[in-house]
Formats: sequence, structure tokens, C-alpha cells
Amino acid sequence: MISKLQFGLMAGVLALSLGAGMAFAAMSADEAIVARKACMKLGHGGVFGVAVPIFKGDKPFDAAALKAAFENEDKVCADWSKWWGPETKQGSAEQTHALPAIWEDPKGFDAAANAWYAADQALRKTTDLASFKAAFPADGAGCKGCHEKFRAPLQ
Amino acid sequence: MRRPIQALILPVVLGLGFFWVGTETRPLTAADVPAHQADLENGKLIFNVGGCISCHASPDATEVPAGGKPLKTPIGVLYPPNLTPDPETGLGPWSDIDFVNAMQKGIRRAGGHLIPAFPYTSYAKMKVDDVLDVKAYLASLAPVKNATPPHQVIGLLIVRRGLGLWKWIGLDETKWVADPSQSESWNRGSYLVNGPGHCNECHTPRNLFMGSDFTRKFMGGPHPEGKGKVPSLRGLVERQRYKDQADLVSAFQNGETLGYEHMSSGGMGEVQSNLAKLPEADISAIAEYLLSLK
Repeated sequence: MISKLQFGLMAGVLALSLGAGMAFAAMSADEAIVARKACMKLGHGGVFGVAVPIFKGDKPFDAAALKAAFENEDKVCADWSKWWGPETKQGSAEQTHALPAIWEDPKGFDAAANAWYAADQALRKTTDLASFKAAFPADGAGCKGCHEKFRAPLQ
Repeated sequence: MRRPIQALILPVVLGLGFFWVGTETRPLTAADVPAHQADLENGKLIFNVGGCISCHASPDATEVPAGGKPLKTPIGVLYPPNLTPDPETGLGPWSDIDFVNAMQKGIRRAGGHLIPAFPYTSYAKMKVDDVLDVKAYLASLAPVKNATPPHQVIGLLIVRRGLGLWKWIGLDETKWVADPSQSESWNRGSYLVNGPGHCNECHTPRNLFMGSDFTRKFMGGPHPEGKGKVPSLRGLVERQRYKDQADLVSAFQNGETLGYEHMSSGGMGEVQSNLAKLPEADISAIAEYLLSLK
């Protein structure tokens, strides 16, 4: 027999753990979304901010500036693999453009992300303007390859 | 009141009669199509403006419009047909008038209405000469034998017939007309955007009857395949999406390769890849027209 007290305690523990779980999930979804956005805007955006003017010839090839941008990208995107759990499909306070396709087709999502990663690694190995200009379009194509299928249109 | 069944006969027969007449196809005849000297180069250009390849690719050859790549729509899965001139599975036996009827009237060669996932609602605005050039370009491609599967749409026969009624509201057959107060390049852009480019199909929201709501032209709306929201094309500079016309031209030419992040999602990535193939003057004309939308 379960006493009223025991029942009350069990119900209380269950309620608390459910509540905590939901709070944790909601918080982590928002945290993951904030981190994803920082990686996209500051990390990738930071690299593009340096790379595009070089690619277009508006600025000279600058290995040091590129290296700094890549290091920053590594820093803000370091926890990438932790940001895509199923609980992060939608935030509570944070808006996301992540499409359900990410979780419906996880292999496709990883393949698209890895294709970009390979292009980005190749770009980092470039040492002069000619090799940089040859490698850069594949990097942007990598962004597009993932955004076409897995991101909702920006407004 | 004594004979309710009999009393219903007349309205039902009348209703069915109206439905039957209202849903009939009204194809053009050969006499309606002018004599035409085909321009393959122009046909290819218009083919790229329309982005025909994006829907009519085959599952295993993305650069050949042999059809069959499944297209998921709210009414079911469609299999866009083979546009190569194969005599059995493609457009081989199609006459010019068959092609114009499909493109501009939404009428199948076999008879009946085409499902407007094929955007004849926009192609209806096109110059017949451009339509015929696309036909000639397609006829110049190597034939590929590829029988596409039948569409998976519940009640397809009734849907096809019912589309005849929908066309009364959803299909406006008035041709595109130039605005003499605007520049030649603006008019070129307006024509490409509203005709072959069929930008309205996604960027103009739809009304209750699933026709384009032109009172909200280019204001964006729900994505047709449920991928979020299609952005508005109005005020692109004012909303700081692009700096100026040259910036938008660069965006169409390079897309996300140069970090233009609005040019890749929801199908726009393919649109951008197709538009990048156009001569710069045409891309520039499109940009001029779009940036005039406030």
C-alpha cells in the first residue's frame, strides 16, 4: 500500500522533475539557438567580412587578418555538435530559421555541413591571392548547400 | 413540396450543366499562333529566366529537363514531365500550338487542365514569340527517353476538371504591357519578372481561392512547400537588404558565394543559380525593376 504521504511525495518529485526538465529543455533550446546565431553571424560572417573584399579585389590578400577570422570562427563555433538536439527545433524566446528537415534528414544535414567544412579547411590552407581566389567560391557554395535545404528564408 | 425529388432535378441538372460548361477547356487553334522564326539563343535565355530545369530535372541528371523529379505540393506529389524531344516520353510529337496552349492557357495536349504548380498563370503574360523560342530550344536538345510516373493526387480527374472553374478566378490571360513612362530596361525587367520569371507565384501571397492576390503584389507570404515564409520584394534597399542596383545584380550573379545570405533558402538558391546564367544586362534590368517596388 502506498500511503497518502508517499503518494504526495512521489507526485511532488515527479512534478518537480518534469518542471525542471521542461525548464532545462527550454533554456537549452534558446541557448543553442543563440549560440548557432553567434556562430553564423560572428564566426562565418566574420570570415566573410574579411574574405569577400579580398576576393573582389577591394583589399589586398591579408593572411594575418584571415587567420584571425578563422580562429574566431573556430572559437564561436566550437560547440557546434551540441546545438542540434531535437529539443532545439524551436526556442521559447529565440526565433530560429532552422527547418524541421534538419531532424527529418540528419544524414543529409551532416553531409551538407561536412561539405562546407571540407571547403573551409581547404580555404584555410591557401597562402596567396591566387590560391585563395580559387578556393573561396566552394566555401560560399558550402553555405548555400546547407541553407537551401535546411534553413527557412530570411525576411 | 409534394414532390421534393422532382423539384431538385432542374437545379441539379442546371448546376451540372454550368459546371460542365464552366470547366471546359478553350484551347487556341493553329490560326492563333503567328508565323515565327525560331531564335534558339533567346529560347535558352527564357528557359533560364523561367528556371524550367529546377522542376523539370530528372532524378539522376540535374542539367537535363527529362522530368520525373518528385515535386511535393499541398495537393500531392507531382512528377513534372519530360521536356526533351523524345518521341514517346517527351515533347517530340508536340506542335507549336500544343506548347502555347500548355504554357499560356494551362491546357494539356491530351485535353483537360494542367495543375497550376506549372506556373502558366505567369507564362500567360508572355510574348508568344518567347514561348515559341522556348519550344524551339527544347526541340534542339538531345532526346532522353524517360517516362515520368503519374501524379499522386487524390481525385486527380475531378481536380483537373474543377480547375476549369478555378481558372475563371486564378488565371488572368491579359498579356504583359510596357509602361511608356518607364525606361526600356525597367520594362525589360518588369516583363522578365512578371512573365517568364514567374516571381509572383511565390512572392505574391494567395487569396482564399489560391489565386495570386495582386492587391498585395510582391509582399511575400507563406512558403508554398511549408518552408517558413517567402520574403517581400518591396523596399529591398529601404529595408537595407541590398545597397543599390549593382549590389542586387552581384547578389543574383554570385548568391551566397559572396555571402548574399538571402539568396539561398526556400528554393531561391536554385532560382539564383538559374538567373546567374543570364546576360548581365537582363540581370540588371530585373534588379532595376525590383528596386522600383517600394
